Amino acid sequence: MTTERKIRELLNKEAETMECPPAISKRIEQSYFQYLQRKRSERTMKKRLIGGIVAAVILIPTAAFAAPPLIEMLTRTPMTAEQVKVDEVGKATLEKLYSAFPETKSFEIIDASNLGGDPATSTKRKAIQTSIVLQEKGGTGKKITLHTNGITGEIEHVIQENWEPKEKPLIALPDQEIKAKVDYLIDKMYGSIEEYEFAMEQMENPNQKTYILNYTKKGSEELIYQVFVQGNRIDVTLYGGEPTPSNLIKVEGFFNRDGKPDTFADSFLNDEKLFALLQISPTELKQELSKGKSVVEVAASKNVSRQQLIDVIAKTQVDRELEGAVISEQQLSQMLKGIEPKVIYVIEHKSETPLKK
Amino acid sequence: MQSEYMYQLLLKMKDGDQQAFHTIYDATYQDIYRTVSFLVDHQQDREDVMNEIYMQMWTSLANYDTNRPFHFWLHGLVIRQVQRFRVKSWRRFRIFERIRAFSREESHWDKPGVLTDGTNQMIAKAIQKLTDKQRVVIILRFFHDYALEEIATLLDIPLGTVKSRYHAGLQALRKNLWNLPPERMEKDNDY
Repeated sequence: MTTERKIRELLNKEAETMECPPAISKRIEQSYFQYLQRKRSERTMKKRLIGGIVAAVILIPTAAFAAPPLIEMLTRTPMTAEQVKVDEVGKATLEKLYSAFPETKSFEIIDASNLGGDPATSTKRKAIQTSIVLQEKGGTGKKITLHTNGITGEIEHVIQENWEPKEKPLIALPDQEIKAKVDYLIDKMYGSIEEYEFAMEQMENPNQKTYILNYTKKGSEELIYQVFVQGNRIDVTLYGGEPTPSNLIKVEGFFNRDGKPDTFADSFLNDEKLFALLQISPTELKQELSKGKSVVEVAASKNVSRQQLIDVIAKTQVDRELEGAVISEQQLSQMLKGIEPKVIYVIEHKSETPLKK
Repeated sequence: MQSEYMYQLLLKMKDGDQQAFHTIYDATYQDIYRTVSFLVDHQQDREDVMNEIYMQMWTSLANYDTNRPFHFWLHGLVIRQVQRFRVKSWRRFRIFERIRAFSREESHWDKPGVLTDGTNQMIAKAIQKLTDKQRVVIILRFFHDYALEEIATLLDIPLGTVKSRYHAGLQALRKNLWNLPPERMEKDNDY
């Protein structure tokens, strides 16, 4: 037998022992899903531009599916049903769901994962997002998927599938009934929608009939909920309210020196997760700082500890530096530690002279 | 699978047809995973590369030349993503030189438990010892049965370069695996 043949045979044999771990498949499926999300939002953006609703347009491209970007920078860790039940965010999410739809109590948790967190050490590293999928045992296979922001605890995304009988899927219903179903879902999950205006349109998708429903606050053009209805599925994304969407205009010069904007700390403070943690807009934060307060003091008034600040800011900085590269837990904690002194310097710093009136 | 059929599926998938996505995924993932596993050592890295390959699949569909077989296009994606990943990891290496050096010790052809066969383990190790450039050629040649000309097109390098990497790779394998004296090149084509 020649060397070549041996190599070929051995490679093929070797290949047969290689099984693609299910975690990879899950992750790719998730990425595909996010890709679709983004694509859909881009479509709406075009439509809206034509409609000339400029304010809302600024919102859409960046706010789409706020947490993970298309190419996931953080890894997703699978969770067991038990872990979900003990996880702070997971528990709260389930409780919300159960009180909204009591029948879901009998549903089975068929899939759950944490994005960017580690369920084993959830006290140390908070997940950015917790996702839970529940499915009815038997029956029509009713399914509900929830994506919860790990920091604010807000449910950012709800997908309801197969709640209508197969013979008469959701999309076959008259428009008014579709809207009623969507209203009902939002009402149950997020509370009254009376004060919202809404617009419904059909997307130009020749293969699949799809509706988009946009809910905006009365008198304002800020998009609050965006809903896609397709097949037997309702897909609700929360844009407005908390968490603060990522469309924030970058603020410069959080601190000032001798009355002039001092930009040294901007890259540390222009951090959406920080704003979400403090529940503050960047402009408000800037105003607070210009009064001569430090970030730590601002945080203290919001019951946020110094350590929480450090954790959030350091994490963002490290993520930025890594550009999506994956390193081990140990390396990550080393890097987080390394950046801590800089973070502390920034958050304890005060504007040198208060802004002159 | 028929290339034209796959292309139609890809178009559907791009439009948001999840069924099409699953069909494509199921038809391709084993092959891609195995190829990536041969080329990338670390498990976590493989995962990232896999993810990026699929991402690339639905973002760069426009570049698909329908006259070429689907698998050829697919392997092109695989190769480019693996190379891109290497460039990236090299940059990372400069920044986190120390950390990286540390984690390098961990990297292995990691499928403990499965590799009970001594010979298999030997080939795995020997192939791992090849340089990245040689390894790609060897895998494409022996795992995917591409002709050297096709490999040249896939890697976008001259045929002569493919040949020299191929022969150098083979020599190294022979040396490592069977401790055979280097053979004459003319014999290499009898298999």
